[in-house]
Amino acid sequence: MWLQLLVNAFSLGSFYALIALGFALIFGVTHAFNLAHGELIILSGYLAYSLNVGLGVPFWGVFPPCMLVLMALMAALHGLLRLVKEPFELNSLVLTFGLALVLQNLMLWGFGADYKLLAAGGSAFNPSWLPVTVTRTQLVLIVLSLVGTAAVYLLLTRTYLGKALRATIQQREAARLAGIQVQRMSLAAFGMGGLLIGLAGPLFGRNAYLHPAGGTEATLIAIIITIFAGVGKIRGILIGGWLLGLVESFTAWLVGGSWRELVSAVILIVLLLKWPQGVLTGNRTRTLP
Amino acid sequence: MAAGRADRKPNANAAVSSGTRSIDLLPSAGVLLLLLGWPPVAAPADIYLRVFGLACFYGALALAWNLVALTGLLSLGHAAFFGMGAYGAALADHYWQLPPFAAIGIGAILGAAYGGLWMATFRRLRGAAFALATLASVEIPKVIIDNWDAFTFGSLGVVGISRLPTLDLGGRVLDFGTSLTAQYYLLLLFLVVVGGFHFAALHSRWGWAIRAVREDETAAAALGVNVPAVRAQALLLSALLTALGGGLYAHLMGLIEPPLVFSLHLSALPLVLTIFGGRYRAFGPVLGALVLYPADQLLFHRWLPSGHALLYGLVIVIALLFCPRGIAAWLSWNRRSAWKSKTSG
Repeated sequence: MWLQLLVNAFSLGSFYALIALGFALIFGVTHAFNLAHGELIILSGYLAYSLNVGLGVPFWGVFPPCMLVLMALMAALHGLLRLVKEPFELNSLVLTFGLALVLQNLMLWGFGADYKLLAAGGSAFNPSWLPVTVTRTQLVLIVLSLVGTAAVYLLLTRTYLGKALRATIQQREAARLAGIQVQRMSLAAFGMGGLLIGLAGPLFGRNAYLHPAGGTEATLIAIIITIFAGVGKIRGILIGGWLLGLVESFTAWLVGGSWRELVSAVILIVLLLKWPQGVLTGNRTRTLP
Repeated sequence: MAAGRADRKPNANAAVSSGTRSIDLLPSAGVLLLLLGWPPVAAPADIYLRVFGLACFYGALALAWNLVALTGLLSLGHAAFFGMGAYGAALADHYWQLPPFAAIGIGAILGAAYGGLWMATFRRLRGAAFALATLASVEIPKVIIDNWDAFTFGSLGVVGISRLPTLDLGGRVLDFGTSLTAQYYLLLLFLVVVGGFHFAALHSRWGWAIRAVREDETAAAALGVNVPAVRAQALLLSALLTALGGGLYAHLMGLIEPPLVFSLHLSALPLVLTIFGGRYRAFGPVLGALVLYPADQLLFHRWLPSGHALLYGLVIVIALLFCPRGIAAWLSWNRRSAWKSKTSG
């Protein structure tokens, strides 16, 4: 029983970390709050659904087109946000809020308000030596989320681009003085964010029902984990994802799944009030704008 | 927002407001006269009365929202007040059979109480952190009401809320329950009441205090402005008026459900209308409502029956990028008098 709860939390939490990763990367590098993050994930999910159900593309085949399309969209969003005037954080918040409305309504128009689920094939995984069941969806969720996170981790720690990105996250002005092209780093962050969103979309559609208004919850999750971990801290994001997955699975088990949103909202408010600079970062100078 | 303060340049155009009340008074009076006078003159079809009545209603909500925005705090969660007001009124009507206007009062008090809770909890948050906290705080009453089946009927919503009463004013009968004309004038009255407070928030001693708080809290406090009190007054008033709107809505529509009255759309709409109309003018948000809402309902809805709210999202994006002062700035004969676009204090 407890073990099953842990497995569920682990798979959900890994996925949450993947959702938050793109958001945190973009926020860290550019200070842009992308309130349309969840809507973009849903959009990628719908794209995967159309490819999978409409054109018969196998589940594994939907990832490359989704990731490429979302990367292009995020590059376009980067161009749009460059036009935003000061104060940037707040104006980017309002702009992406508007964008979230646009996307929600476009999806309502294009795909209708019905709930859609990407077909989950394959049998569950039942180890004989442990009393747990890992469904195929959970396995896919865990593997792909961790692969995505690991790829970003390697990129940030082992490559020159990653070094420049981390420098921009830590000190934008100093990075500029050191000769890093901050605008190009922003574009890179948006592009990587787009790839991660594209990866998360089909997984979202497989893990839960797709519907046009479902993005808000994903955005909230991304914001919660980002504030919890601080920006650019991948280990923190993973821990945050797993903790949130644990809390949500536990709440769902204790009082029912319909209270989940309340728990996320309360967690977000408490984090904003108590640790606006991130719980896990020792850095006290970096506060949320 | 400490970071924002450093890059603020002294703004020569900022001297407007209280000294030049007339730049707002005349257009406001003009808009009001037009709204009062057109139904008897034009004898419009029902749909126009309904659409423009609701445009007045959403204009009033935008004005109420702007009371908080004028103090430099951007709320993305006014749907919480609206929903509390609607549910307060609907449940008071359902359980105690209170007369509608008393039930609406109960809803308004409930909304103001939630505003008080915001004030106590979020008093140290500014800028994006405040906006995010308000966005999250809509979920709390929504989820509770959605799950408390025994008392609030959960996701089924409250149905059969009684209609607004008929008033007899010395021979002139105002049937708010069924007559669209009476409803139109009731919603216009609501707009005028909220508009009065909004006008005061721009052009009075209190309005100067609000502006000082928005531009620079520390300086305002040094000048003797009681910053927390000014913020609290604006937020409580805004919550009360928004909840009043929610109660009115419940009685006008006759049914409510959690996704309807706690929707993201209701939090977004005042923001869109205000930014599009003009944030720092007394009639700006109303202008936004009178242009956008009919455009949405009468024109856009036909082309795009589902997803017509797309218009509002597009308008925020375009207005923010290309016209941050709103369309009210175009109407101003003294262009220099419109303030620079700033939402944060």
